[in-house]
Amino acid sequence: MKSIVIGGGKIGSNLLKTLKERGYDVTLVEKDEETCRRIAEDINTSIICGDGTDIDVLKDAGINDADIIAAVTGLDEENLVICQIAKKGFNIGKSIARINNPKNIEMFKALGVDQTVCSTEVIANLIEYEFDRDICKIVQTFDRGTMILVEVSVNEQNRWLHSFVKDLLLPSECVIASILRDGKVIYPRGDTQIMKNDNIHIVTNRATLLEIKKLLHNGGAQHAKQKK
Amino acid sequence: MYIIIVGCGRLGGTLSEELSDAGHNVSVIDREGSRLEALGSGFNGLRVKGIEYDSKVLKEAGISRADYLIAATSDDNLNITVSLVAKETFKVRRVIARVNEPSKKSVYELLNIQTINPTELISYIIKSRIEGNSR
Repeated sequence: MKSIVIGGGKIGSNLLKTLKERGYDVTLVEKDEETCRRIAEDINTSIICGDGTDIDVLKDAGINDADIIAAVTGLDEENLVICQIAKKGFNIGKSIARINNPKNIEMFKALGVDQTVCSTEVIANLIEYEFDRDICKIVQTFDRGTMILVEVSVNEQNRWLHSFVKDLLLPSECVIASILRDGKVIYPRGDTQIMKNDNIHIVTNRATLLEIKKLLHNGGAQHAKQKK
Repeated sequence: MYIIIVGCGRLGGTLSEELSDAGHNVSVIDREGSRLEALGSGFNGLRVKGIEYDSKVLKEAGISRADYLIAATSDDNLNITVSLVAKETFKVRRVIARVNEPSKKSVYELLNIQTINPTELISYIIKSRIEGNSR
């Protein structure tokens, strides 16, 4: 597989190493001469010192017969332009863009660059996940976060403990899909009661997950408790 | 005409003032507040500070009713990105971008963006002046 990596920063140079180890034929394109020299000392691969948004430079890097191109510079507009060139000018099977500012995710999508990785968002999510992984964890992500499957483990402190499903105050954009209890799947109805050690599976999206977490912290089942 | 100028440097700034003086509705976008302030009090168009290709910023500048968008920053990638967003997301019919690096002209062409190439124009003018004088 012939691949081109554009941008030799921390992400680019690490990606280069990984791809090399997996036996890919990789060419790196990097603007800064000093960075090129440093990487050349470290990794044995072809490096082109030049502007990755220049069609001639990309041709030198072998874009004509590349299978994959990864635009991982620190500038979103640069990554976007590279992917546009790859898409409109060359028949690249796959082009992947790094997005630095999460605000730009929508823009990349709207302009048809659908293979994106937002480094800032990924790191923020990982840290957040570590923070509350004992109560809430993302089991599966669909379509890069538009839909997610979340597992809530019910311990003694859980606000939902002993509540009935119908009494839970949940945001509109979420559905309780199933409850795992002692290895058995329960398809919850309104009168299903939540017990200790239940694993509740919720289908939702990232934005709503934050709301659910807040509810879990501040008592989402107050309503139910008052009834008792 | 409602005209959005992206980039308030030498070209963007001058163009904004001239178009505004000529009676057009002008709004200028730049990420540097200082460059917008440099327009002075005589400029009566709209000044919007922010990332040039951000949809929110473009909406604030009134892109939904823009007749023209001129991408006039000194960064080709920025100009290309703004032009693409204007054309494809906001369906602005007339988008013109400034080419900075002559070798980048092919990228604009590939992506169907209309351009003005100042370097090419100026060298053409200088060349014809020299040749005109020698005749």
